[in-house]
Amino acid sequence: MELHQVRYFLAVASTLNFTRAAEQCNVTQPALTKGVQKLEQELGGQLIYRERQLTQLTDLGKEVLPMLERTLASAEAVRRRAQEFQRKDVAPLKIGLAPSISASLVLDPIAEIAKFLPGLHVELREGAAKKLVDLLLEGEINAAMVGDVHDVPARIDDWSLFEERYVAVLAPTHQLANRPSIGIDDLRETVLLERAGCDVAPKIQQSFFPEKPPQLGHCSGHDLHLQHMAAAGFGVILAPEHMPRLPTLKTIPLEGDPVSREVRLLAVQGRRYSPALDAFVKVARLRDWSVEVPDRDVPHAAVPEVARAPA
Amino acid sequence: MTTTRTLAANRFQPIDPQPDDSQPMPNQTNKTLAQIRTELLTTFSAADWLSYNHLVGWLRDTDVASHALKVGDDAPDFLLPDADGRLHSSEQLRRNGPLVLSFFRGGWCPFCTAELCALQAAKEEFESVGATLAVVTPETRDFPRQLKRSLGLDLKVLSDVDYGVAMSYGVLFRVPYETKAHYSGLGFDFGARHGSPVWMLPIPATYVIDAEGRIRGAFVEPDFTIREEPAQILASLRQAASAP
Repeated sequence: MELHQVRYFLAVASTLNFTRAAEQCNVTQPALTKGVQKLEQELGGQLIYRERQLTQLTDLGKEVLPMLERTLASAEAVRRRAQEFQRKDVAPLKIGLAPSISASLVLDPIAEIAKFLPGLHVELREGAAKKLVDLLLEGEINAAMVGDVHDVPARIDDWSLFEERYVAVLAPTHQLANRPSIGIDDLRETVLLERAGCDVAPKIQQSFFPEKPPQLGHCSGHDLHLQHMAAAGFGVILAPEHMPRLPTLKTIPLEGDPVSREVRLLAVQGRRYSPALDAFVKVARLRDWSVEVPDRDVPHAAVPEVARAPA
Repeated sequence: MTTTRTLAANRFQPIDPQPDDSQPMPNQTNKTLAQIRTELLTTFSAADWLSYNHLVGWLRDTDVASHALKVGDDAPDFLLPDADGRLHSSEQLRRNGPLVLSFFRGGWCPFCTAELCALQAAKEEFESVGATLAVVTPETRDFPRQLKRSLGLDLKVLSDVDYGVAMSYGVLFRVPYETKAHYSGLGFDFGARHGSPVWMLPIPATYVIDAEGRIRGAFVEPDFTIREEPAQILASLRQAASAP
């Protein structure tokens, strides 16, 4: 397929009007129609219903639209990067992080992107996954990294980046601090500091405390607050393994690693990707995130070992 | 002077199945890609032949290769992450000499892995004539890392996340339903590999791009079993270097 054909189709999809789409693309209407028809031929079906007053996307049109938008945006981000570079533009990038995602995760990607976008200006926002989805839809942030998230609207693209386990974090003076691992029975007997708004809490509840709720101690939505309280001996935190910790805290794995979660990247579909967002999404989707958890290989459930097809 | 090695789609000839129970292990060293291809084709099952002939026939009928950029065209610039998530810009890659840019289908394709091994073996020769080699896959996540590890590759494996570069070089196509069914049946989920709900693939293509960003060599082949021999790429690099 060719860039201009895709551009024509996207113009028709957004205007639902061949005349206006042709104007937008600066071509004659027959040329636009021909381009869309060639694309339809290649994609193996009609993309647009053309009836007298009604121009509408077909099911196939709806299916391929988000993908083609992303592909075109990705192809065009390069040209816009060159322009920004020349004009020494500021390249803003607003990233939302769920409370269980440490900013330490995005530092290396930011440094990598800044090599190619000297005007890069990053703003980090913290919020619960639901709130971040709203901010994405409102255009207040460009991308978000979250843990387990349910009911992501269809307008949001969602990629799994990596999986990580939860570990117990506690003061070295805690009675469980010398264990090689901590079992479910130990956790039932100890005070857990509550992570307010935690997206993994239902999973923890289900794995450890199906009958009797845990003994919950003090509470905060901020990881650092919880860490300070754990360091003071107020209780144990269950934390994602990548989370950087106060030097006064100790980390102990949970017996059998019963709790793990996926870290996901979210971005709004179809919106024109800025060069900064384009680069961020690309780096994030290739990066070896297991380096953030050096003690352990990050499990990638979906990755088969060197599988091959004959044809 | 430029070299034109764009193979037209009409070069494709459907191949009749040749049942053969032997499973030769392709030995990459000292064999041309054409020889390895012949060996790999003997391992095809009837279903493989059906799928192969269907896909290549379809690519020929829709003339997908006619969109591909040709010798003399400007090579679109790009910024892509490699297997470790480090970014590479085309300007940087061709700053000190010609860039050999090879699009392949993925680590699951034995014709691609044979090609990658052959390119790896020729890497030093490419460098000795001042050229930089980069290979481009639609695969994301840790698939490119796994591929490098499993084949012991020391190549720049770039990931064309969301297919933007393959599209701008005109070598991208949507995988037809029959082909999708065949690969799904073999357990390959390109959706998961590419991070995309719509399955797309590049036609294998090898471009030689000069330091000014102009295409000096183009090998575009809708028959995915046929790749450009590294010796051929070297010849075209030498030719481009001697041309004014």
